[in-house]
Amino acid sequence: MTVGSQVKQCAFTLKSIEQGLLNLSSRTQEEEAKKIFNEAACILNDVIADIDKRIGQLENEEPQYKGL
Amino acid sequence: MLNWIEVLLRTIGMVLLLFFVAKLSSKKQVAQLSYFDYISRISLGGIAAIMVVDLRVNFLYGVLAIIVWIGITYTLDFIALKSKIFRDFIEGKGIVLIKDGKIMEENLKKEQFTTDMLLKQLRSKNVFKFADVEFAVLEPTGEVNILLKRNMQPVTLKDLHEKIPNEKEPQTVIMDGKILNEPLATLGLSPAWLLSQLEKQGFSIDNVFLAQVDSYGQVTVDLYDDKIKVPQPTELPLLLSSLKKSQADLELFALETENKDAKQMYMKNAEKVKDIILKVTPILQ
Repeated sequence: MTVGSQVKQCAFTLKSIEQGLLNLSSRTQEEEAKKIFNEAACILNDVIADIDKRIGQLENEEPQYKGL
Repeated sequence: MLNWIEVLLRTIGMVLLLFFVAKLSSKKQVAQLSYFDYISRISLGGIAAIMVVDLRVNFLYGVLAIIVWIGITYTLDFIALKSKIFRDFIEGKGIVLIKDGKIMEENLKKEQFTTDMLLKQLRSKNVFKFADVEFAVLEPTGEVNILLKRNMQPVTLKDLHEKIPNEKEPQTVIMDGKILNEPLATLGLSPAWLLSQLEKQGFSIDNVFLAQVDSYGQVTVDLYDDKIKVPQPTELPLLLSSLKKSQADLELFALETENKDAKQMYMKNAEKVKDIILKVTPILQ
């Protein structure tokens, strides 16, 4: 597995966590927990954006692995 | 009229009357009754018993006596509800037995409460050393309630400075194999959602005896078939562990890459994920 695909996998995991947190937040009855989940999802969103940018760079460096 | 028929009719009448009286009266437990309540309940029982078997007494007199008795206690209760002074008068006040860790001998004597009784009551509250008690009060119902010294009180999350969001009460959504719609609606969930959750866990609704949904929307079930092992809800722990995995991955990427900017970016984001883990751990665990 190349570095690029590892990073991509990590990005996918993070995206699924973000969805999980948002999902939880919509089901949770407790306002405070809702807030924590939403904040966490928001920060994760930034993290994912950073990593997506890095994936773009990696794909430029190693075009033969693009899309994997 | 044959005597036995009269007894039969009287009994039915009394049972019905007492049933309605019981419905009308407050939901206080016997242990919470004041002395006055206690006497009046026993008297009602006595009147009812006499009315049922003593055929010499006019049945209507008994009914009248019960209604008047109930009327008076009801009125007294109502006034007591409105007036604190009156309440103290008929229900009595709590008496302080221990204050600032010192036993008030005068009050003990006044209430004819022996030292042995005090120690026994403390023991029933799991206190074997009177020195552990800061404050104790004898309630009008005869119960002793205590406040332990601060350093003897059980540890709470507040003492540990743990900040944990409150948790709402779980709702029972399936009882005896039937979906209860009202609690589901309280949670803002639909029966279809519940069915899909059950399906995910691999159960059919016919087999579910009891199911509850906690405040994070996790379903726990008990099945009629006790041989089947019910899995614990895994969603929250799974989320936490994948968060931890991502953090470790990010740190690994930071170590592996030779690009300085990328290294910094990975480190920064690993830090962010770590913060998230710290924040959600108390909830997800």
